[in-house]
Amino acid sequence: MKCLVYVETHEGKAQGGSLELLTAAAGLGEVKAVVLGSREAAEQTAAYGVDVLLAGEACCPDAATALLEHIIGEEKPQVVLMNATLAAKDLAPRLAHRLGGGCVTDAVAVEADEAHGVVFTRPAYGGTVLERLALTSAAPAFATVRSGSFAKPEQTGNGAVTEVDVAVAEDAIRARLVETVTEITEMVNLEGADIVVCGGRGMGDAQGFKLVEELADVLGGVVGATRPAIEEGWISRAHQIGQSGKMVAPKLYIACGVFGAMQHISGAMASKYIVAINKDEAASIFDVADVGIVGDVHEILPLMIEEIRKRKA
Amino acid sequence: MNIFVCVKQVPDDYVEVHLNPTTGTPDVEGIDQVNNAFDTYAVEMAVRAVEAHGGSVTVAAIGPEKCQNGLKNLIAVGANKAVLLSDPALLDLDEAATASALASLIAKCEADQGESFDLIFCGKESTDEISAQVGAMLSETLKAPFVSSVVEVEPVEGGVKAKQETESGYAVYEMALPAVLTVAKPAYDPRYPTIKSKMAARKATIPMLTAADAGAVKQDNRVTCLGYSEPAKRQAGVRIQEKEAADAVAKAVAMMAEAKAI
Ligand SMILES: Cc1cc2nc3c(=O)[nH]c(=O)nc-3n(C[C@H](O)[C@H](O)[C@H](O)COP(=O)(O)OP(=O)(O)OC[C@H]3O[C@@H](n4cnc5c(N)ncnc54)[C@H](O)[C@@H]3O)c2cc1C
Ligand SMILES: Nc1ncnc2c1ncn2[C@@H]1O[C@H](COP(=O)(O)O)[C@@H](O)[C@H]1O
Repeated sequence: MKCLVYVETHEGKAQGGSLELLTAAAGLGEVKAVVLGSREAAEQTAAYGVDVLLAGEACCPDAATALLEHIIGEEKPQVVLMNATLAAKDLAPRLAHRLGGGCVTDAVAVEADEAHGVVFTRPAYGGTVLERLALTSAAPAFATVRSGSFAKPEQTGNGAVTEVDVAVAEDAIRARLVETVTEITEMVNLEGADIVVCGGRGMGDAQGFKLVEELADVLGGVVGATRPAIEEGWISRAHQIGQSGKMVAPKLYIACGVFGAMQHISGAMASKYIVAINKDEAASIFDVADVGIVGDVHEILPLMIEEIRKRKA
Repeated sequence: MNIFVCVKQVPDDYVEVHLNPTTGTPDVEGIDQVNNAFDTYAVEMAVRAVEAHGGSVTVAAIGPEKCQNGLKNLIAVGANKAVLLSDPALLDLDEAATASALASLIAKCEADQGESFDLIFCGKESTDEISAQVGAMLSETLKAPFVSSVVEVEPVEGGVKAKQETESGYAVYEMALPAVLTVAKPAYDPRYPTIKSKMAARKATIPMLTAADAGAVKQDNRVTCLGYSEPAKRQAGVRIQEKEAADAVAKAVAMMAEAKAI
């Protein structure tokens, strides 16, 4: 099976979630990668032993769609894999439509299958149900795959980087990008964190939320947040966990003043050990917590920070 | 501005969905159907745009007859018109087939009202399938500009300007009309109906079209579901409820240490 991996770049570098897909693709058959606009990223990708097609830089999503449409049209792979970033989640369905293929969002497993060629597993209904999907059209199957679903591949020598010369027609640009603003500069590595301390609306205010940051700090963990905590402006969107945020799978997840709504906890269900602090003993979070403390975060957290500091000393 | 908002009815996403042990399919029978949350954000954004700049908001769904209730609820919060495409031939559509049927429905509504839509809104994603595909595919069918995860939209010379939420901040796009936008959670919440608007909406009749009425032909699905499973379940563990917070913390930390979580 011919498989094409779209390697997205971030500041000119190959993005880690995309490189994991080389592992997924290797399980399916013959692998090629495509990179837009960065020779550095193309060479970085080729170091994993795959041949890379390098096309020009895309000025905007419409241009990226046009470039990839052309390349995929020429290459005729059976499967196209992309990391499930917001940008790729726009590209995949648009390309699937243009090339007549089906599209799968947020796959967590991709397997070769005798009867169906390839079968994708993906969560639905907030993550309580997994679907097994097969593609039924002859055109390429497009899938976006969640970060962390596959291990990073081994660097096994150099593949070739081939430049492809594709021009984007002027009328391909329908939505003109006029401004890009970076508000969130911090690197928040929630997906890779071993410990996540998450604060919800129960933290009360920005000052209260600082306790979450302090506990994360003494544990060497990363701060997570629920949507209300973000909407209140206590912390940036980069920290959101859940359906509209990040999926985490730490060894320890501590939920502070978090109710445990499906849309939130679905993003943390893969945690090894869940500790919850909530003053309401009926809060849903207690249904999934290994240890649940019924109490006020403003009393519990300072003591917990103290206790852990002592242990670490 | 005439805005067409695509609204999907989904099982209330505050209820956890599990597999029916007999059928092995998601057990959604007893769960109330509601308007997809992101679609309600899209309706609120559309109603605000029309309040500010004039025009009308049409809400539309493809689904069974009972979707009428959901559409009525949207009339109660400011939508001007509603239409339901309901046909046994249009069940179990995949995203591409849904986009194709929506495109037919849009053309039909435009022909009937003798006026085209300036903007077509979808939700960023549906809360049951969570595919985030229909809006993108619809824009391709209509060959219209597309921007996803929009949190603000305003008219500019020759079209609209849309603010898109991105992972690291935001991006602003300008485009000619008609355009297809998918809507994320804006800075505001959808409004609540008043008793009066609710009463009035209850009396509204929602036109129901068949596939033939709308000129919609079912496109073959490109994606098939082979089966379902459930991820490993979590068990509730120990509940600690002590008079003294210090005792609770000591207990909890000891357990975390024992489990080698810290
Ligand atoms: C389409 C959609 C997508 C969504 N996506 C996400 C998402 O990605 N992530 C997300 O988080 N949410 C998401 N939500 C929102 C989600 O449904 C919940 O509303 C949200 O997770 C609740 O956040 P919370 O637990 O912080 O707040 P609340 O539900 O208000 O809960 C606060 C909790 O804190 C407790 N508490 C209050 N004071 C104290 C105290 N002093 N000490 C201890 N406990 C206290 C309360 O008992 C309560 O249980 C989404 C919703 C929709 C509709
Ligand atoms: N059956 C439907 N009727 C009307 N709109 C729909 C339907 N299915 C999907 N949509 C629209 O497409 C959006 C994205 O859906 P999805 O691609 O399934 O995540 C939804 O938020 C709706 O706006």
